[in-house]
Amino acid sequence: MSGSQYRYLFNPLRIGPVTVANRIVFAAHLTNYAEQGRPSEQHAAYYAARAAGGAGLIITEEHSVHPTDWPYEKMIHGFHDDVLPGYRRITEAVHAHGVPIFAQINHNGGQASSMYTRLPVWGPSPVADPLFREVPKAIDQAEIDEVIAGYADVAARCKAGGFDGIELQCSHSSIVRGFLSRATNRRTDDYGGSLENRARLLHQIVAAVRAAIGPELALGVRLCGDELIENGITIDETVEVAQAVEDQGMVDYINTSIGVATASLFMIEASMHIPPDYAMFIPSAIRKAVDLPVVGVGRFKDPLQAERALAQGHADLIGVVRGQIADADFAAKARSGHHHDIRLCLSCNQECVGRMGLNRWLGCIENPVTGRESTQSVELRPTAPKQVVVVGGGPAGLQTAIAAARRGHRVTVLEREPEAGGQVRLAARVPNRAEFGDLVRNQVHECEQLGVEIRLGVDATADLIDTLRPDAVVIATGSNPARPWWAPPVLDESGPRPGELPVIDVVDVVAGRFSPQGHVIVIDEVGFHPATSVAELLADRGCRVDVLSPGMVVGQDLGITLDMENWWLRATSKGIGQVPDQVIVGLEGTELQALHHPTGVTSPRTADWVVLAVPGAPADALYFELQDRYSTSNSSVTVQRAGDCVAPRRAHAAVIEGNRIGSAL
Amino acid sequence: MKVLEPLSLRDRQSPNRVLFGPHETNLGFDRSIGERHLAYYERRAAGGAGLVVCEEASVHDSDWPYERCPLAAECGPGWTALAERVHVHGALAIAAIGHTGGQGSSAYSQRPLWAPSGVPEVNTREMPKVMEHHEIEAVVRGFGAAADLAARSGLDGVEVNAGQNSLVRQFLSGLTNLRDDDYGTDRLRFAREVLHAVRSGVGGGLVGLRLSCDELAPWAGIVPEAAAEIAVALAPWIDYLVVVRGGIFSVAATRPDGHDAPGFNLDLVGAIRSAVRSATGDRVPVFGQGSIVDIGQAEWAIDDGRCDAVEMTRAEIADADLVAKAAAGHVDRIRPCILCNQTCKVRDARNPIVSCVVDPRSGHETTDPDPAGASAVARDVLVVGAGVAGLECARVAAERGHRVVVREQASEAGGMVRVVATGAGRDRLADVADWLVAECTRLGVVIETGVDVTAADVAVAEAAGTRVVLCTGSVAGDRTYDVVDDAEPVTADAVLAAIRSGRMADLVPPGPVVIWDPIGGPIAVSVAESLVGADGVTSVTLVTPDLIVGTMLSRSGDLAPGNVRLAGAGVESVKRAVLREVRPDGAVVEDRFTGERIDLAAAIVIDAGPMLPDERLWIASGRRSVRAGDAVAPRTIYEAVLEGRRVALDLDLGLVAAGRMGG
Repeated sequence: MSGSQYRYLFNPLRIGPVTVANRIVFAAHLTNYAEQGRPSEQHAAYYAARAAGGAGLIITEEHSVHPTDWPYEKMIHGFHDDVLPGYRRITEAVHAHGVPIFAQINHNGGQASSMYTRLPVWGPSPVADPLFREVPKAIDQAEIDEVIAGYADVAARCKAGGFDGIELQCSHSSIVRGFLSRATNRRTDDYGGSLENRARLLHQIVAAVRAAIGPELALGVRLCGDELIENGITIDETVEVAQAVEDQGMVDYINTSIGVATASLFMIEASMHIPPDYAMFIPSAIRKAVDLPVVGVGRFKDPLQAERALAQGHADLIGVVRGQIADADFAAKARSGHHHDIRLCLSCNQECVGRMGLNRWLGCIENPVTGRESTQSVELRPTAPKQVVVVGGGPAGLQTAIAAARRGHRVTVLEREPEAGGQVRLAARVPNRAEFGDLVRNQVHECEQLGVEIRLGVDATADLIDTLRPDAVVIATGSNPARPWWAPPVLDESGPRPGELPVIDVVDVVAGRFSPQGHVIVIDEVGFHPATSVAELLADRGCRVDVLSPGMVVGQDLGITLDMENWWLRATSKGIGQVPDQVIVGLEGTELQALHHPTGVTSPRTADWVVLAVPGAPADALYFELQDRYSTSNSSVTVQRAGDCVAPRRAHAAVIEGNRIGSAL
Repeated sequence: MKVLEPLSLRDRQSPNRVLFGPHETNLGFDRSIGERHLAYYERRAAGGAGLVVCEEASVHDSDWPYERCPLAAECGPGWTALAERVHVHGALAIAAIGHTGGQGSSAYSQRPLWAPSGVPEVNTREMPKVMEHHEIEAVVRGFGAAADLAARSGLDGVEVNAGQNSLVRQFLSGLTNLRDDDYGTDRLRFAREVLHAVRSGVGGGLVGLRLSCDELAPWAGIVPEAAAEIAVALAPWIDYLVVVRGGIFSVAATRPDGHDAPGFNLDLVGAIRSAVRSATGDRVPVFGQGSIVDIGQAEWAIDDGRCDAVEMTRAEIADADLVAKAAAGHVDRIRPCILCNQTCKVRDARNPIVSCVVDPRSGHETTDPDPAGASAVARDVLVVGAGVAGLECARVAAERGHRVVVREQASEAGGMVRVVATGAGRDRLADVADWLVAECTRLGVVIETGVDVTAADVAVAEAAGTRVVLCTGSVAGDRTYDVVDDAEPVTADAVLAAIRSGRMADLVPPGPVVIWDPIGGPIAVSVAESLVGADGVTSVTLVTPDLIVGTMLSRSGDLAPGNVRLAGAGVESVKRAVLREVRPDGAVVEDRFTGERIDLAAAIVIDAGPMLPDERLWIASGRRSVRAGDAVAPRTIYEAVLEGRRVALDLDLGLVAAGRMGG
C-alpha cells in the first residue's frame, strides 16, 4: 500500500510566510509540562516526537501574555523573559525535523481564579465564570492597553525564541472571546454592544501582534464557532468575525474550536460518546466565507477521516491532537501507507484530558511514553534474549509482551479466553464504548508485528508454564468479581433461585451469562463506566434501572473524562434513576437494606435483579504459587505480576505496569 | 499561664507547650524542604512556637500522596537548615514522617498504592496492593532511615504519623487491616516495628506519635477505648503523643472548619491521657489537638488535665506571633483564626500554597513584605468603608505611622463579614471584624460610622493632600432570571442582615423558601441552615446548577459535613437546575440537562448569586481613587485583607504603582 489513497492530506500548503508539508496539525492543547512558568525539556521532547512522527504543523500550548492570567498552576508565563531558553529548546528540537512550530498566546480573561496570581481576575465585565465562580474586575482602557501590549510583547518574545508563527487563542478560554460574547461582555463603551465593538479588542490585538512580529511569521486567529451557552456566540457571528479578520489583512489562517472551556468542555475535548465530525460545521461555514486557510478540529482520530474532511472541502488543515498523543508517528504511518499500524486514539479521555483537569502531566492510557518523552524512549537497547511467558492477555499482559518483545525477548502470551483483551474486551461491548476496544486491537496488532506468540484458550497452570522453560514469567491474570458480604452465593447456570434476589456482577451481564429483566438495581461502588454502562445496556433492553451509589453522585469520576454531562443526558432520556448517598447494609429476604448515610435512615429496596459494579479481587493465586515454586527450587526464573492481579485498577495502570515490567526484564 | 511553661521531653526542653503541627503546605517546588518552607517555619518559631513540626515527609518512595509531598530521602539539606533556623529562636524542630498507604495517590508515582488490605480509600476508590512481607520490611526500614536522617540533620526528633492519613493507622484499624497473617492477628505489630526502627534511627532524639484515637466508624474502626490500649502499648517507644481523630470514613474530622466547636477533641484527649498516665506515669506528655485556636481554651485544657500541651497549628498560621503576644500579656492582640479552612487547607489537586484569610502573608513570607514597620513620611489617609478591606488598610497604615480616618456608611464597622457571620455555623467570621476594629482603635485610627462620603468629600480630601482609599464593598448582582408580577426576590446578604437585626420576619414571609445558589458556596448553605425550622418557614429548597449542593465547600472540607447537616435538617435541593423566573408565589427552575421546567412554591426567593462592586463613589469621584476588596470585584475575606494591606503598604512602597494590585 502507498500514500496514494490520500489526495489532499499530504499536499503542502502555504500559511502566509510558512509552508507546511501536510495538513496534519498538532493543535494547541494544555500539557501541564511547564515548570514554574517556564517551558520544560519535556515540552521540547514531546513536540519533537510529533515532528519526528511527521506532523505538518505544531502549535504549542498557550503562553500567558500578562501576569493577571494564571488560571492553572503549570502554565507557561510568556510574559517573563526567562521563558526564552525554553522557547529555543522547543523550536530547535522541532525544526530539527523540518517541521514548523507556532506559539499560541493568550489571556484567559475571566475564565480564571486569583488562586495563583493573588490579583483580581480581569474580564470585560464583572460576570463570574461558571467554573471558577470568581467575579472579575471589569478592565478599564489602561488595562485593555496593557493586555494588548502583553500580546505584542509575548509575540515578539516568541519570535526571538524561534517560532515560525503566532496563534491567538480567541476561542474556548480567552479574554478575546469574553469580549466577543454577549454572555460575558456587558460593556457600554466602545468595546461593548455591537459586534464591531465586541470585536474591537481582537482587531487591536491582531494589529499589535502583527506589528511586533513583522511579515516573517505567520499569524493565526482561533475562533469559537459556537459557545454552546446561553446568549453565546453562534456560527453566524463567528463567520462575520472571521471575515472581518480576513479584511484586516494581517492574519494568515483561521483556526476553529467549539464550546467554552469553563462551561462546555465536554464538547471541546469530546469523548467517544460524541460522534466524530461533530464540530465540522464550524470550519465548513467559515471556509465558505473566507479565503484564508481554515483548520478544522474535533475528534479527528483517523487519517482517512481527515482526508475525507479535506476532500469534502470542510477545512484546509485538520487538527489531530489526541490521535498524535496516542501515536506520535500518526502522520508518518499514514503517509507511508501503514495506517493500520497507528495506535488509534480511544477518545477515552482518561489520561490526557483526565490528568489535565487534575493538574497532572498529560499522558495517554495506551502510550506509556506520552508525557515521558524526555526521559523514556520507545526504542530500548536489546538485551540478551530471554524466554518470557506472560499469563493473561489483557492490557497488562499484552503491554508486558510488547515491551519485552521490543527488547528482543521471545514472548509467549497464554490467555484462557478464546479472545485476547481481558476486561477491556467486555468494557467495549456496552453502548457507545466500542472505541475502548481499540486498546486491545492496537496491542494485539503490535504484538503480531513484534512476533509475540499469543496462545488463546489456554488455561495456564504452573506445570504448563514449566514446560515452556521460561527465564521470566509475568503474571497478568487480572481480577475476579468480588461480592459484598451480604450478597447470596454466586448463581450457577441454572439462574435465579426461587425466593432469592438474584445478585450478579457487571461482567455477568456484559459477557451475556445472565439477562436481567424487569426492575434492576445497579450498585456503583467504582464510580466510573462499569455501572453507568451496564445501566444503559439494560435500559436499552427494556429494563427499569436504578443506579445506587455510596457517593454524592453516581459515576463520580465520569466528570474527569468529560462524560458526566452526556451520561446525564442519556440517563434521563432512558429513564435511568440515580440514587446517591446509598450504602447497602444488608439483605433481608429479597429486600436490599439501603442506608442513606447523610441522614442515617435505612430503607428497604426491592428489585428483580441486582447488578454489582464493585471493585474486583486480584486473581493472584498463580502468582503466589509460582513464587513459591521458583523461590524454593533454586531456580533462576523470575516471577513478577502486572495489572489487576496486583490490585484491580483502571486500564492505564495495567498498561504502565506491563510496560515497566516488560521493559526491565 | 501554664501553656507558656516549659515542657520537658526526654533530655530536651520545649520553651512552652504550643506545638505548630505538621500540615500540607505545597510550599516546595519538588519533594524537598525549600526556602519557602524555611521562612514559613522560622516565622512561627520567631513568634514563640515551642515545637515546630515540619510538613510530613514520606519515608519510602512507594508513597507520593500529593505532588509536592516531601520525600524523606530528599529532605536532608532542608531539615538541616530548618534545625538551624528554628533553634535560633529557642524552639524545638521536629520532622513529621509517615506513609499514607492506601490513602495516597498513584498519579505521581504511577505505581500501585500499598496498604495492609485491599480496602480502597472512600474518596479516591483506588484499590491498593496488599503489601507483601518484603514491602512491609522496606517501609519499616524507610521509617528508620528517615529518623536517622532527621537526627543527623540536627533536628530534635521525629513525629510518626498514625493519624488520619497514615499506613500505620491502616494497620491498626479493623476497617483497613483484614490480614490473616501476623500483621492482622496482631494489628499493632506494624506500629511496633515502625516505632522500634524509628527509635533506633533517631538515637537520643525525640519520637512523637500522632495517633488517631477515634475513626468515627465504631463498627470496625479504632474506638477511644481501643485507642487507649494502643497508646499504652506504644508508649514505651515514644516521648510524646498527639491525640487526633479521623479515618477513611471521616476525612474532614481531623481539622474541620468552624462548624465543629473549637476543642471538640478534648474529651477524647483527656481520656487517652488518663489511660496513658495510669499505665505509664507522666513520662509521655499528651498533646491536645482539634481546632484549638484560642489561647484561653489551650490554657483551660492544660489546667483541667485534658492534656499536657496543645497543638495550635491554624492559630499560628493566622498569627505567627501568637505565643509571643500571649507571653507579652497581649492575648487580646492575637489575630484570630476563624476556622474557615479557606486557604490553609491545601490538600487539593491544584497545589494551592498554604495561606490565611486573615494573614495572607502566611505562606508568602519570601515574597510579601512584613506590614509592620514605620513609614518615613506620615500621611493623612481617608479610608471610605469599614469592611475588612478598609479596616485592614487602616490598621496597617496606622501601624506604619500614618494618620487614618475611616468613614463608614453603616452604623457599625465590620461590613459584609458581620453579615455573613450571621449564617449558621459561621459566627467566628465576625472575630475578624472585632479584631480589626480593636487593633485600629488601639492604633489611633478614627472610625466614623453612619457617615456618607460624597464625591465632594473625596475632592476636598484629595485637595488637602489626603490619600483616599475606596473600600466601598459590593451591591446586589444582576438578576439572571425574569421577575414577574411585582415579585420581590431578595439577596442572601439582605436575609442575613435581617436575621442579624432580629427582623427576619419583616423580610421572610411565612411559607416555603427557595434559595438560588449559582455559586455553590457557604453563604447559601448557611442561609438554608439558618432558615430551616425558623418560625413560619415551612420548607427550604436549595437550587443549584451543580450535581451536588455546595460544591465550593470542598476546599474547606465542609462539603460532606455540610451536606449531612442539610440532609439532617430537612433542607430540600433541586440540582442541575437554573432559576428562570421568580413569581410572587414561587419560582420556575429549569433542568440544565433536559430543559424540563419545574414550578417551586415559594413565599420568598433568595438570590445567593455573585455580587457586583459598589462603584458609585469611585465613578462619581472621577475613577481616580485607589480601591481595595469587593469594591474592585466582590470576592472573599482573603482578597479584602490582601488588597487592603497592599494599598496601605503602597502609601510607602509603591506596590500599586509598580503594577498589579488591581486598584
